[in-house]
Amino acid sequence: MSFLQPLILAALPLIALPVIIHLIHQRRHRTVPWAAMMFLLQAKRMNQGMARLRHLLILLMRMAAVGALIFALSRPLAGGWWGGIGMTEADATLILLDRSASMETQDLQTGESRRSTALGKLAALLDGERAGGRLVLIDSADDTVRTLESPRALADLPFTSATATSADLPGMLERAMAHLTANDAGRADVWICSDLAENDWDPGSGRWAAIREQFARLKGTRLFLLAYPQPPANNLSVRVANVSRHTTGKTAELSLDVEVRHGAGEGASGGTARHLPLEFEVNNVRSVVEVELDEQGASLQGHRLPIDAKLEAGWGSVAIPGDANPQDNRFHFVFAEPPVRRAVIVAEEAQAGEAFRLALAIPPEPGREHAAQVLSPARVGEIDWETTGMLIWQAPFPGELVADQIERFVSAGRVAMFWPPEGPDDGSLFGSHWTGWETAGETPAQLAWWRGEADLLGHVGNGDALPVDELKTYRWRALEGPGTVLARLANDQPLLVRAATDQGAVYFCATLPTARCSSLERDGVVFYAMLQRALTEGCRPLATASQREAGRGALGDRDDWSLVAPGGDAAALSQRGLQSAVFRSESGGNWAALNRPKAEDTAGPMPAATVDALFAGLPYQRIDDTVGNASPLAREIWRMFLLAMLVALIVEAVLCLPDRRVASKRTSEFAPATGAAG
Amino acid sequence: MSHRAHRPQSFVDPKVLARLAGIGLHARTPMLGNVSGRHRSPIRGSSLEFAEYRKYVAGDDPRRLDWRAWGRSNRFYIKEFEADTNLRLCLIVDTSGSLNYAAGGASKLDLAKALAGTLAYLAANQGDAVGLYGAGTEFHTVIRPRRNAAHLRVVLEHIAALKAAGGTGLAETLHQAAESIGQRALVVILSDLFLEPDELGRCFQHLRFRKHDVAVFHLLDQSEIDFRFDRPTRFVDLEGGAAVLTDPLLVGRQYRQAMQRYLADLTTLVREAAVDYHRVNLGDAAGEVLSRFLIGRRPKLKK
Repeated sequence: MSFLQPLILAALPLIALPVIIHLIHQRRHRTVPWAAMMFLLQAKRMNQGMARLRHLLILLMRMAAVGALIFALSRPLAGGWWGGIGMTEADATLILLDRSASMETQDLQTGESRRSTALGKLAALLDGERAGGRLVLIDSADDTVRTLESPRALADLPFTSATATSADLPGMLERAMAHLTANDAGRADVWICSDLAENDWDPGSGRWAAIREQFARLKGTRLFLLAYPQPPANNLSVRVANVSRHTTGKTAELSLDVEVRHGAGEGASGGTARHLPLEFEVNNVRSVVEVELDEQGASLQGHRLPIDAKLEAGWGSVAIPGDANPQDNRFHFVFAEPPVRRAVIVAEEAQAGEAFRLALAIPPEPGREHAAQVLSPARVGEIDWETTGMLIWQAPFPGELVADQIERFVSAGRVAMFWPPEGPDDGSLFGSHWTGWETAGETPAQLAWWRGEADLLGHVGNGDALPVDELKTYRWRALEGPGTVLARLANDQPLLVRAATDQGAVYFCATLPTARCSSLERDGVVFYAMLQRALTEGCRPLATASQREAGRGALGDRDDWSLVAPGGDAAALSQRGLQSAVFRSESGGNWAALNRPKAEDTAGPMPAATVDALFAGLPYQRIDDTVGNASPLAREIWRMFLLAMLVALIVEAVLCLPDRRVASKRTSEFAPATGAAG
Repeated sequence: MSHRAHRPQSFVDPKVLARLAGIGLHARTPMLGNVSGRHRSPIRGSSLEFAEYRKYVAGDDPRRLDWRAWGRSNRFYIKEFEADTNLRLCLIVDTSGSLNYAAGGASKLDLAKALAGTLAYLAANQGDAVGLYGAGTEFHTVIRPRRNAAHLRVVLEHIAALKAAGGTGLAETLHQAAESIGQRALVVILSDLFLEPDELGRCFQHLRFRKHDVAVFHLLDQSEIDFRFDRPTRFVDLEGGAAVLTDPLLVGRQYRQAMQRYLADLTTLVREAAVDYHRVNLGDAAGEVLSRFLIGRRPKLKK
């Protein structure tokens, strides 16, 4: 609780005034000669219980009335979380704003979203509370830590506008932590505005332990979580799972797989099926198809939309009628001829090269053009870097010229995968270099740990894990260098490492697929999945039409892309790639459709216990708010204290009332009784 | 015998005496005096007041035969008349310290003196014997009832000399009076009766057992009943007990409860003992109080 007139609180000792007056009153007694002492002594004996309690209550009520009056005059500010905000001002206030797509859930009556509600309340609170102190904004869609001049600007900044991205709350807290540490902030309030979506918070991440530990070290830092955990009512989301263009003779058509899903926690309770209109828009031509919506949602597989045969590439969108969250009511897509999945294998060992070629020769999608070329290290000059999606390098690290070429190749978003050469190799690339070969002995080494939630060894689409645990390794070559370990052997040696790069991807695998080194080729499944996933990622920049998840870096070089849809005011350059939109590159004629991540459609809020566990041991205050709620976070509550004072005075007056029976008898009591008996 | 020569004391108002003289002091029950007077006696006598007929028995004086009754009924009846006698008025005045209580005006003792003096004068003036008991631990007086002129002066002087101090000896005095005074006297008690009702009840029963006509003037001020004080007060015990410092707001309710319970017990007690009870406020005029008292005791006219 804070106060607009805190100086008046200096009068708080006046609460003791009734007691002091009572004591003075006791000392200023008068002396009365008294005859009926027997009744007075009886009364004193009787006055042991309720009467004494009544007198104490009277004193208490008087003290409460004085206290309430002082508090009312000091104009207190409070919200539903009394005492959450201290009376002293923080040196720095950090706002961690979740700008994920789910934060755009609206109150249909006011049109206010969770994000705008939170921003409005924070602006009002901080405008009144923080006359000084630094105000810092960390938003989920950008890495930049921004210092704001005034909280009033919060609602109007482009960095606080709606996005179709997902959020990384642990990452935001890490950035906040780094900022506080670097700036030696002293007393700091950290406000986190979020809807507690599970995908954004990633409560299972190992980073939380470190975050808790680091924040616990920062004395004077308080965490406030302004949460909007209520799921939206009757919210639907639409998504295009797959789009492909087919040509039959002189006609062409698009084949679309469309999914409509209920929001988190909805749909399972049953209810009658209803029809939902889906509006398709392709090349400014609109059509509507009705689908039947059941408990699971609706699915439209292989829906065909005829298009102009001459339209080889373009964009479109699918929309559902407006509901609670406008961010998930439209899904953009682009289409074009898919690129050739081209991989180049540079192998010093023919057997290994053949193993790579065989794994890459079978495309995961039938009908897609693909090519896998095996070259010896001497023929590196024959590589067509422009049309290649992935480079597999099983040879000593190349010289400087080729190394530069490979780095540019990776910077263009492609994938390079390095496998160990048989012979000695003194070179290094991407900060890594090979050491000597090691042998497992009689018992082959197996993987002790691998990252199954994402990347090359991630689970397959239906959630099943790859049979990585069956993989056997007989020989491996240790790798030294920085990078993220994706798989580790039982002896703690890394088997698969991803190097840190801004664009593209670089992998190092410490063994070979051949039977002498591992069971990769023999078992096949893991080997095939690894290579095809890497190739898919590497070919993505080659596609002229690509579906991408909105987010920072989704467009790479933002200057090269121009907005195609939706129409209207173009977003600021810094915000490009964060909204759901269709872009076309000015240089190569590529198309990109940016949409929200899939998890934003389905992820529900975390349970309160989970949130509390994430902040366990930290000075954290959770404030559950509802979207569209107009009541301010902090408001003047002097009326409440005035009312409390009145109540205290009324109670005091009631307690002071004389006994009615005695009062009514006073007049009749003294009628003399004459001649009682005769 | 005339008492007009005696000048009444200052606590006796001549105007009150003049007004009350015409009413006269009557006993509610037959009195047992030693000379002829104006009060009924339990013994048949030769007054003009017819009492009853009684059958003649051998030995009766034939002069008392009612010949008219013989003429009507042919039977012998003796006609009896009531005897008139004087009464013995015993004034018992409480002289405990609590009688010094005064609510701004006259004290309880002053009022008791006025009532006792006036009654003594009225009784003596109609030929009745007057006695005085001072009931207190420090001032204890006993003057047995007599009916000569000089005795009234003695009684009035003793009344004037009464002082209130110390504790009460009312209970002991009442028991003593009950035993020492001959049967069938008028006993008038003037006190604030600050005794336990049980003890007081035993005293009244003792007096009634001795066939005395008991009258009580209960001297109690309204302020003692209401107990209306608005700030802490040190109450000094007029009977010499320890002073009590208390906040009347704290104990007022309980005080009034105790007082009400006491008054209710006292009312029951005087009804059971057939005591002529009069509660007197300190603000009441002695003449008014005595007027009510005397009128209430006048015998009912026979139809």
